[in-house]
Amino acid sequence: MRFRVLLKLALRSVGRNARRSALTAAAMVIGLALLIFSRSLAEGAHEQWVTSAVRMGTGHVAIQAPDYLESGKLEHRIGVKAYPRALDAVEAVAGERVVAHAPRLTVNGLASSASSALPVRVEGVDPDRERIFSDLDEKVVDGRYLQSDDRLHAYVGVELARRLGLKVGTRFVLTAQSASGDVEGQLVRVAGIFKSAVPEMDAGLIHIPLETAREWLGTPGAVTTYAVLLTSSRDTGGVVEELHDRLSGDDLRVLGWRDASPELDAALRMDDYGDYVFHSILFAIVALAIMNAVMMSVLGRRREFGVLQALGLTGAQTGWVVFGEGLFLTAASGVVGMGLGFLFTWGFFRDGIDFSGLVENESAWASAGGIVDPVIVPTFHSSQVLLSLYFMLIIGTLASIYPAMRASKLDVAEAMKFDQ
Amino acid sequence: MSTSNGTPAVQTKDVWKIYPQEPNPVKAVRGVSLEIESGDFVAMAGPSGSGKTTVLNLLGGLTRPTEGSIEIGGLEITAMPDKALARLRLERIGFVFQAYNLLPVLTAMENAEFTLLLRGVPASERHERVRVLFDQMGLEGLEDRFPGKLSGGQQQRVAVARAVVGEPALVLADEPTANLDSVASAALLDVMERLNREHGTTFVFSTHDPRVTERARRLITLVDGEISTDVRQNHETAGA
Repeated sequence: MRFRVLLKLALRSVGRNARRSALTAAAMVIGLALLIFSRSLAEGAHEQWVTSAVRMGTGHVAIQAPDYLESGKLEHRIGVKAYPRALDAVEAVAGERVVAHAPRLTVNGLASSASSALPVRVEGVDPDRERIFSDLDEKVVDGRYLQSDDRLHAYVGVELARRLGLKVGTRFVLTAQSASGDVEGQLVRVAGIFKSAVPEMDAGLIHIPLETAREWLGTPGAVTTYAVLLTSSRDTGGVVEELHDRLSGDDLRVLGWRDASPELDAALRMDDYGDYVFHSILFAIVALAIMNAVMMSVLGRRREFGVLQALGLTGAQTGWVVFGEGLFLTAASGVVGMGLGFLFTWGFFRDGIDFSGLVENESAWASAGGIVDPVIVPTFHSSQVLLSLYFMLIIGTLASIYPAMRASKLDVAEAMKFDQ
Repeated sequence: MSTSNGTPAVQTKDVWKIYPQEPNPVKAVRGVSLEIESGDFVAMAGPSGSGKTTVLNLLGGLTRPTEGSIEIGGLEITAMPDKALARLRLERIGFVFQAYNLLPVLTAMENAEFTLLLRGVPASERHERVRVLFDQMGLEGLEDRFPGKLSGGQQQRVAVARAVVGEPALVLADEPTANLDSVASAALLDVMERLNREHGTTFVFSTHDPRVTERARRLITLVDGEISTDVRQNHETAGA
């Protein structure tokens, strides 16, 4: 009974001071809507960034020999016996979650032309699979991407081509340490030149046919990584787990993109921290607005609270009335703010927001091996939205505690003197 | 007059209330000792700053004495925990304030039944009790009005209804007629006298309005926090 009375008092007090309540609610509604917009934009950008990076890198999920990640050496490759098992496991889990999968034989070496020699990363790829997996074939600026019947062809980054003086049709030599430990050379001809906008790729990546790489490096039937591309990065954990179960006991290691691309993981975490700082500031402003409004309400109603205690309410019960007001205001604003956030983000920006006008240099959108598309499409995740709402409720709750405590510790006799 | 078991409604012994203030502490109440019988109709008079409101606050447990003891219906309240004091106020003491102090977010009916709500009295009984009081006090038809839509006299009568609806043993009224005109004051005193007479409720009210003091059965005058005079008055209207 008492709870209902206190609740009624709290709710009606919110309604009685409609203007003050509306202003407080507005701060919370706008804060939460902004938070949802900002989070969905960040989620969208991250997803694009991750997708871009993993498509050009080791996929959402990478199957490698146990020590390859640390050593990067050919001796830690997936051999001719293990490779079919990896392929079978991937095909067994492939379904709606898996977009593509591709083998890679990667080695660090030297590219030498008539004019210069530069360190490079050479990837032996299956052109047909790679065309689905990566979008590097779409980045061609001259010539063409590799084809399945290519043998001694190479697809090189635009900056590397410039530094080595390469053009389509030009021959140059790749040199690297083979599986036997000897340094081996391979003559290749430029089939195409790409511009990815990722500086380290444009200046140092070369694709050659997988079979050519295997012959050159003396690793028949081997790969260094079997990469799997998923529909969403959120599926990574589940697929890693399934593959791990299927490949347990084999001399293979299944890695999610965070483990396989620690630099990408670190970059995303850094970006997240930036978001957290922004959100913390936003939350602090909202919390201050709530606390100020509820506090002003308490200070302006000291006599009323004195009366409540004179009539038989305890200090704690009086505090609950104030706390209930803050909580109700927060909950109502939270629901409205969530709705507004959805409407605003989905209604106006469902096709994405074009930030290309902000930065002219294309490579400025590149980081940690991936490119953030300047057109960012917001992505909603119910967990994120609920988390935002949850945080808002916590902030509202915390911001209401101090005013509630002030109301509960009121000197009743003094409060009764207060002129409202 | 005492209660059936002879316990006074109020008993204070050498009560002091000193507000610590530099350089000189303020002695608002100085050694007040008094006994108020159950069913009495007592006025406390005195100039502003004489300590009337402080004494009422002490009797209602709204503030604690610096020294001395206070008993309400035989219960020593001086060292009573806050929660128990709140319970005592809810069940045994009614308050009427100078500025009405109705809760603005509640209707006249809800204000009047507020203490019953807190005590968990069923709705039908609450409404019936308030309706009877409203009829007696000329408030019928105003049940659903919010305080802002009531006149000063009507608000004060609602406040009195709120104070007595729970049938407390003691009603403390701090200058209840201060904001009312003479007609409304007289009407309010009529109501209080009738409740005192019919229900045996003990009323203690502060005032410096001579029209009010003359209707009290006992008049206590305070000067500088001390009881200056304490006299019984004989007139027709008061009677328990």
